[in-house]
Amino acid sequence: MSTQEWKGALVVGVSGLGGAAALTLASGGVRRIVLVDPAPAEARDLSGHPLLAEEDIGQPRAAAAARRLADRFAGIDVTAPPAAFDERTGPALVASANVVVDASNLFAAMFAVNDVAAEVGRPVVHAGILQYSAQLLTTVFGETGCLRCLFEGPPPPRAGAAPEAEGLALLAGFAGALVGMEALRMLEGGRAAYAGRLLVYEARARRSRSVTVKARPGCPACAAWARAHPAAGGPTA
Amino acid sequence: MRRVGAGAPGGRGADGVTLTDPEKARFARAIQLPGLGAEGVEALRAARVHVVGAGVTAGPAILFLAQTGVGTLFLDDGGDVSNADAGAWLYTQRDLGQQRLFAAMEAVRAASGLVEVRPFASDTIVSATLVCSDDETVARRAAEQARRAGVPHVVGLANGEGGEVVDVPSGAPCFRCAHAPGARVFPRRGAAAAVGTLAALELVLLLARVVPGGGGGRRIDLVEGTPTARPTERIPGCDCYNVY
Repeated sequence: MSTQEWKGALVVGVSGLGGAAALTLASGGVRRIVLVDPAPAEARDLSGHPLLAEEDIGQPRAAAAARRLADRFAGIDVTAPPAAFDERTGPALVASANVVVDASNLFAAMFAVNDVAAEVGRPVVHAGILQYSAQLLTTVFGETGCLRCLFEGPPPPRAGAAPEAEGLALLAGFAGALVGMEALRMLEGGRAAYAGRLLVYEARARRSRSVTVKARPGCPACAAWARAHPAAGGPTA
Repeated sequence: MRRVGAGAPGGRGADGVTLTDPEKARFARAIQLPGLGAEGVEALRAARVHVVGAGVTAGPAILFLAQTGVGTLFLDDGGDVSNADAGAWLYTQRDLGQQRLFAAMEAVRAASGLVEVRPFASDTIVSATLVCSDDETVARRAAEQARRAGVPHVVGLANGEGGEVVDVPSGAPCFRCAHAPGARVFPRRGAAAAVGTLAALELVLLLARVVPGGGGGRRIDLVEGTPTARPTERIPGCDCYNVY
């Protein structure tokens, strides 16, 4: 049995981005995947979702995607709990996985994933899409900065409605494949490509740029990680 | 293979396509996207795309092209579904041993009722070609055929944990000028999906005319999860002066 087969991944958010990430993980041999996204699939979700079809409209996105994933990969253990990811449901979900892929499309969810992963002590690969721009960031608590080190908190509600809502569908697919690759690298014990750096890829200009993300003194998530894992050391917040 | 011209007269979209209500609902996000809009979606709906390959690199590309709204896909593959195709995203266990071409067509139809999908034939008229064969020799030959037919094309080749994507729009240096032949290894850790979706993304940007000025030819290398682009240059002596 390979390393990936007994390790598990949690994918939060099963839009086109999360669907592509889940397919990449399953293709890479991960046999234990939890998908979290109880929102019902809409017609517009089908314009760039590799795991949904017309008959899934109205069904919870994660449950529909889980059925199709199980159909394509023999022996896969894929589950889709009915609840949304939040501070109450998150800890058990995160604790069940070795790596968390954050493909959620709401800033509040992104920060909830970050904070719960810090408490539980799991690495997170974040990905988001805004129009023609994809952003990827990997957080290894104790080694790198996290989402809260970079942005402190979600933007005001008006600006933060839905990062992926107006994103180019195929860019979400590309970003989903990249975060899936990143999670596979981490499950295999390889070097994470986006650890401690925010990669921004602008699809129209075909330009990549990186922003270093260091642990920020005073970051509450990193402080929570340090409290929960006092023996692990690493940068203190 | 011949190239179809763009544009159509009279009261319809610039590409001769008027979006129906179900299409407007399906592609609402793309229609709202600055730089793409209804015109870009109409261009995609009018597009006739030849896809070379239906394996681990082409599979994710085919699926996303179908769902993004490309009007007609002409699939072109001579292999059978094997266990190595698990990463193609298209096939179920029931497809093992079946011809990839027909299994892929079935998967596309199941994914979207708004796309027309057919086998490619040599006299098919297309607006662009996406070359994502996992066989480099097949990819080189397909790119050259597209160039000779005057068809804009994008080539995606996965290699190990990364790969390359080469855009060859009208007038750009050919794939042979941009490609660096060398030892290749079978893609792993999802690299084929990343290269395939990036190649499909480039094709969509080209078809929907999203990039101001067309952008010219370029090569994008995917290394350690980071795409890096550079303009392509014509090799001295190459006679690939395409203008179409």
